[in-house]
Amino acid sequence: MALSSLTTRISQSGPWRSFFRHGWPDNPLDRSLTMTSNIFFHLHPVKVSRRSLRWSYSFGLGVISAILFGVLIWTGVLLMFYYVPSVERAYPTMKEIQFSVPLGQFTRNMHRWSAHAMVLMVILHMARVFYTGAYKPPREFNWIVGVVLLLLTLGASFTGYLLPWDQLAYWAITVGTNIAGYAPVAGPPAREILLGGSEVGQNALIRFYTLHIAVLPLLITLLVSLHLWRVRKDGGLAANET
Amino acid sequence: MTTQTPVTDEIFPKHTGKTYALVELMRGEGPMVGKGPDDTVFSFPVVLLWEALLLLGVTLTIFVFSLLKQAPLEEIANPLITTDPAKAPWYFVGLQELLEHMHPTLAGVIIPTLLVLFLMALPYLDHSRANVGVWFSSARGRWIVGLTALYTAIVMPAYIALDNAFSLRELLRGVVQQWVAQGLLPGGILAVLVALPVLVVWRRKADTRELMLTLFTVMFASAVVFTASGFLLRGPGFKLYLPGQMPWWYNPWDGL
Repeated sequence: MALSSLTTRISQSGPWRSFFRHGWPDNPLDRSLTMTSNIFFHLHPVKVSRRSLRWSYSFGLGVISAILFGVLIWTGVLLMFYYVPSVERAYPTMKEIQFSVPLGQFTRNMHRWSAHAMVLMVILHMARVFYTGAYKPPREFNWIVGVVLLLLTLGASFTGYLLPWDQLAYWAITVGTNIAGYAPVAGPPAREILLGGSEVGQNALIRFYTLHIAVLPLLITLLVSLHLWRVRKDGGLAANET
Repeated sequence: MTTQTPVTDEIFPKHTGKTYALVELMRGEGPMVGKGPDDTVFSFPVVLLWEALLLLGVTLTIFVFSLLKQAPLEEIANPLITTDPAKAPWYFVGLQELLEHMHPTLAGVIIPTLLVLFLMALPYLDHSRANVGVWFSSARGRWIVGLTALYTAIVMPAYIALDNAFSLRELLRGVVQQWVAQGLLPGGILAVLVALPVLVVWRRKADTRELMLTLFTVMFASAVVFTASGFLLRGPGFKLYLPGQMPWWYNPWDGL
């Protein structure tokens, strides 16, 4: 066969073998090597139990959250090319994105709906982990990482909420940060640090923007890595225990 | 299986013709200690296909939804004109609903702090390893969760409706001090409503896991009730409207 001899020649050439350090994954050894020698695949174990793959056990909620986070990074970077975080320019650039940027409205829609969906999925993921008892030893620490990830997700959504700088954004953030300000002693200073002043204005906008596009996504990426790593270190999904 | 072979013999067979041998068995703590060979499959390609399928499904759903529904963009922000109603994002609107019923420090700070502390402390309160990886732990657990959710879905809306009709804040204005009317009383009522199912389950010789199932379900279902009330039923002036009686010009879904 001409085709198969061609593929064989390619897959045995120097450049190919420098990229992929395993053969065609049709046998146990190469299937193992495929998973362990690829930076993305190596987050997975080489073998998984059939129990942990059952859809009715996990509903894939953690994976779905991670996928939505990926969609948010992708669409968020696209929006960053046009959006300007200043009180004078923010709203006009939103209009620009919606009316003159090719697929701008669509990209913004994807970003907004993925954000709401991610908050919802992360909450459901937490409920799933609780109801299957997957927070119990040895997974206590990973549960806490998960709670922190939930708070970071809420923070990422909340800081993004202000950026359109329309009435909806402005008053939602005013109401939301007022709640934080009700704490005795620590409340008002905490609110002032978050907003960079006593009211929602330019300082608040640039702080929310920086948190939204740099600090929180980096923290989430870091903690998701820790979260996935700990899943493996703690023996995979709790479904394996039964 | 008819004959029960010890787990260690299963993992380390004695006569295999292997040219190497296991030298020592260690005592230790680890996730796989004491477990036999599992019913496993190679991750490649099953897990990757499964994930690729989810990736396609999720992005396609968001894609189609984004074609059908536009993200909202209202008038430019104006600090001088307050929108009516002014609502927090949907995941904080439950707290905003709580604020209508009690002192801001209680609703905005103490209760959310207690919720987060409860979540953080959970694995240290309940550390038995029985029935890990089973939904609701047992058939009894499933009943507990179902009945607790039902109880919460009745009691919490009733609390919201009653306090809305006969506001404690207004009834006791000038009668007792503010921290009693807005702090102690509503906080006490909520604490009793949360503790009641926990006590009932506890009286029936529940283990820690069953108590946690009750407590978590009361809190989770309450959060759903308060969020739904704040998001769907609060209209202009943040007043409570029955479903279908919302003024025609205000659609809560527009503020998503």
